[in-house]
Amino acid sequence: MAVLEYLANGLVFSSIIVLASIGLSLVYSIARFANFAHGDTLTVGAYGAFVGFALIGDVGPTVLGLPGGFYIAVAVGAAVAAVVAVVTQRLVYDALEIGAIGLLITSIGVAFVYRALVILGFGTGSLRYAVPAQRPIPALVPIGVRITTQEVAIIVVATVLVIGLHLLLRFTLLGRMMRATADNADLAQVTGIRTAQITRWTWVIGAGLAGVGGVFLGLYNQVEPRMGFNILLVVFAAVILGGIGSVYGAMIGGFLIGMIDQLTPLLGDLGIPIGTEYSYAIAFVIMVLVLLVRPTGIAGGDPG
Amino acid sequence: MTHAGPSRYDRRTVLQYAGLAGVVGLAGCTTEQSGGEDADAGDAGAEEPAPDVYRIGMVNSLTGSLADFGTYNERGVALALEDVNASGIGGVPLEIIVEDSESLPDAGVSAAQKLVNQDQVPLIIGAVGSGVSTSIYESVIRGTDVVQLSQNSTSASLTEYPGLLRMSPPGGPQVQVLADLIADDGVGSVAVAWVNNDFGQSQRDGFVDAWGGEVAYDSPHDQEQSSYASVVAEMANSGADAWVFLTYQEQTAAMLDDAYSNGYEAAFYGSDSAKGPSVLEGTPAGALEGMKTVEPSAAIDQANYQDFASRFESAYGEAPTSWSSFAYDCVITAALSIATADGFTGAALGGTVRDVTRSPGETVTTFSAAMDVISDGGDADAIDYDGVSGPIDFDANGDPVGSFQVFEVVDDAYVSRGTRTV
Repeated sequence: MAVLEYLANGLVFSSIIVLASIGLSLVYSIARFANFAHGDTLTVGAYGAFVGFALIGDVGPTVLGLPGGFYIAVAVGAAVAAVVAVVTQRLVYDALEIGAIGLLITSIGVAFVYRALVILGFGTGSLRYAVPAQRPIPALVPIGVRITTQEVAIIVVATVLVIGLHLLLRFTLLGRMMRATADNADLAQVTGIRTAQITRWTWVIGAGLAGVGGVFLGLYNQVEPRMGFNILLVVFAAVILGGIGSVYGAMIGGFLIGMIDQLTPLLGDLGIPIGTEYSYAIAFVIMVLVLLVRPTGIAGGDPG
Repeated sequence: MTHAGPSRYDRRTVLQYAGLAGVVGLAGCTTEQSGGEDADAGDAGAEEPAPDVYRIGMVNSLTGSLADFGTYNERGVALALEDVNASGIGGVPLEIIVEDSESLPDAGVSAAQKLVNQDQVPLIIGAVGSGVSTSIYESVIRGTDVVQLSQNSTSASLTEYPGLLRMSPPGGPQVQVLADLIADDGVGSVAVAWVNNDFGQSQRDGFVDAWGGEVAYDSPHDQEQSSYASVVAEMANSGADAWVFLTYQEQTAAMLDDAYSNGYEAAFYGSDSAKGPSVLEGTPAGALEGMKTVEPSAAIDQANYQDFASRFESAYGEAPTSWSSFAYDCVITAALSIATADGFTGAALGGTVRDVTRSPGETVTTFSAAMDVISDGGDADAIDYDGVSGPIDFDANGDPVGSFQVFEVVDDAYVSRGTRTV
């Protein structure tokens, strides 16, 4: 019975990791560096939505346990994260004439700046979104699944966004240009694609998804200044497991890592003395095992 | 670094000791001089190394998972400085250089290194987290004369460092009181969630030793996990009657929030670190109802505490926590040890800091009363400071004596349920 509950928890947590992973992988595919500020982009999104929700309030009908205003706030959080990321890209990353390692280290500094600004504005304590507190859906409790409608909302919105991104990448001009630029930026430019513009769109989409992930992480757990940084390691694991630079890999990797993390209690239930404090360690061991078999990650080599 | 050549650090340490020895020597001279009756006042003034201001250091949790404590401490320290600097220590004001530990050992050690090496303070008040306090002691303080006085650490592990003093009573007796309380409430089996560090480990060990019933769940969790859902699920599946949180506010809030949204019901208990306004704010209304916590208690029926409490309330609009009173007493104890020491050095303060808090000596309960006794020619043995947090009375291990207060959450507020002792 408990398995169903762990799976439900895993679905919610995976949804958040997937949103964060896609952004990290997208940015890597175009900008070619591991963006350590990505975790704090989640934080920026979460706080953006916090302010947005405070301004908008409980407007609109309640959908899946969340007021309409909250969905607008999610969009606000995504927009704030996207704007912050694009401004950073123009002012910092673009202006620097250094390689991937230099950009990586710069992004660590950027992460500190984001976090420090959040702490300056909101303090170090944790916050909660002013949405109604919920109990598990009663109909599901008898079968051992304890999930709130708000958690269902997280899964639904994440699924919609993932499908939307898939459609965008496969069936729109922008998506084709993004894939072309990720594949070979020079060739893409020669064929007339404005790669600078495409790069900017990639940042917008990547950071926007991270922003949504941040809001959901805040809704699921707590809104606090280190929330994004704390999840960054897992997100990197997900992206590397899936194959860095591949969007579909990030989806698979994020889903697997989130699930593994939340399924760890099963080991204890089966009598294997490995506690939940090892959940990240287990996720990383599985990542290492997969990389031993497929060094490029699950979907590595696929330009996504 | 090779073992053969003298390293830079060694040279610096040697220089520091040389400087310290010089100062101690100088202090010795002065004592000798003033020891001779009717020494020429002018000469003594020229030799006396009394600084313009007494600077001591403090490592506080201004940010990080113990930031609640950082605020409590700041307030206690502010009131104590007000009292000390109303007259000064023999007319010399006391100044405290505060550094942030970010509630983490490595940042705490850097902060202490800055205070000791750069600011050259002879006494450090610090830190909040027990792991932070012991790391500072092991990496910075041990082997020097600098006095370290932890304001809030309650881990039993501090008892193993006699050189590391603390104002808050150790957690050993505290978790014993918690175990007794849970047993008295008629609970048969408990699920214990403890934070994966020194503090959590020692609280958990102490609790499990003291607990006579069944332990259905007993596992650590890390600070700053992105999800505590699996911890909560395991606790619920263990079937325990009561959940015991031996962890920090942030983690307690996250887990109780999860417990609420998953619809789990149990009796909740916690140590002092699982109680705080951030736990109430971080959880839905009613999620904590009935949760009981045990924390070291201040001397709530003493006049000096009541005076402290009313000043605290008028300054900050709320009642003080025990933690504020510990920080207050740290500052007063430091000031009294400076007043009775024959020099502003670590070695001299180390010689007086315990004695000012314990018998023999006249019992004094305020800084000004203590200074009256000292100015009549009293030394460290002439006073026994009983602070707003309790009698203090540092023992050989640097631990104070203390009693404990029980709180229960009623209508989303902490209500005192009296005090208990071991």
